Amino acid sequence: MEYFAWFENTALSLWVRESPPVFPALLIAHVLGMGVIVGVNVLLAWRVSRRELQPGEIATFVPLVWLAFTASLISGALLLAAYPAKALTNPVFYLKLALIALGFALFGALRRRPRVAHWPLASAAALLLVWFAAITTGRLLAYTNTVLLASHLF
Amino acid sequence: MSAVTAIEAFAADSGVFAFMNTAWAWPLAESIHYLGLSLLLGSVGIVDARLLGLGTRISIAGLHAVTRWGMFGFAFNVITGIAFFVSAPDQYLYNPAFQLKIACMLLAFANVVVFYGWAWPRAHGASEVPVAAKVCAAISLGAWMGVISFGRLITFYRPPEHWCFWCG
Repeated sequence: MEYFAWFENTALSLWVRESPPVFPALLIAHVLGMGVIVGVNVLLAWRVSRRELQPGEIATFVPLVWLAFTASLISGALLLAAYPAKALTNPVFYLKLALIALGFALFGALRRRPRVAHWPLASAAALLLVWFAAITTGRLLAYTNTVLLASHLF
Repeated sequence: MSAVTAIEAFAADSGVFAFMNTAWAWPLAESIHYLGLSLLLGSVGIVDARLLGLGTRISIAGLHAVTRWGMFGFAFNVITGIAFFVSAPDQYLYNPAFQLKIACMLLAFANVVVFYGWAWPRAHGASEVPVAAKVCAAISLGAWMGVISFGRLITFYRPPEHWCFWCG
């Protein structure tokens, strides 16, 4: 907690938290990144569920996913820098990270080896469900935190 | 009776206000709203990107089929969006971010009409994507990203700030 309180008073944390356009701009980058990543996963789920997926067809969208992931990662890291104690003291935050990792693992497995999907509907549903859970845990972060700023505790 | 009180009365009478103010209804509706926007970007946005030259390994017709899921996504967002709106109408009606979001949606709707009425029939069978279809795709991408961006900004304008393009 002392470390969080110290970090919250660094120039970086204050800049993200208190320069008016920065924080909303990061939220916009984060939600657009999320939309593109989950959007390409929606396309993959659709193609898998219809048994129409051809090897390599999703590969053309992978650079777009990486771009969106980079935008989400950088904006997410800066949002975390603004309120480190808020996220890092909340178990839901770690669940969100685990769900994102699981989502990307499923994305990689399904797009590379369509035959992994012996059960096309179940595979597509699992992919969509994992991403929906990741979105939900992300949204819940605004409602389930016990600390907003550690520096307020001292 | 002003529009705001009429909408508030509807939300109270229909039980939507009470439901949206239960412990987890609002965040759950927000999560569904986010999934819906992802379904829309994953269908309409992907078709737009394809028309603009990305992902040419899949046929446009093959990609276009996924807009059926996009329709579900849009329906989720209309339902959850109305639930938000009627539960706190003053927070939206007088909110410049919400007003710009609606303006972007109207632009996107007009673009859909132009696209399916005019550009899309001409894109069928053509070896190259016609310029008109590419222009529609660019407008669609811009408009929906505007909808998402202004939607994310709604929370930063709250009464009593109450300023808007028609408040004066």
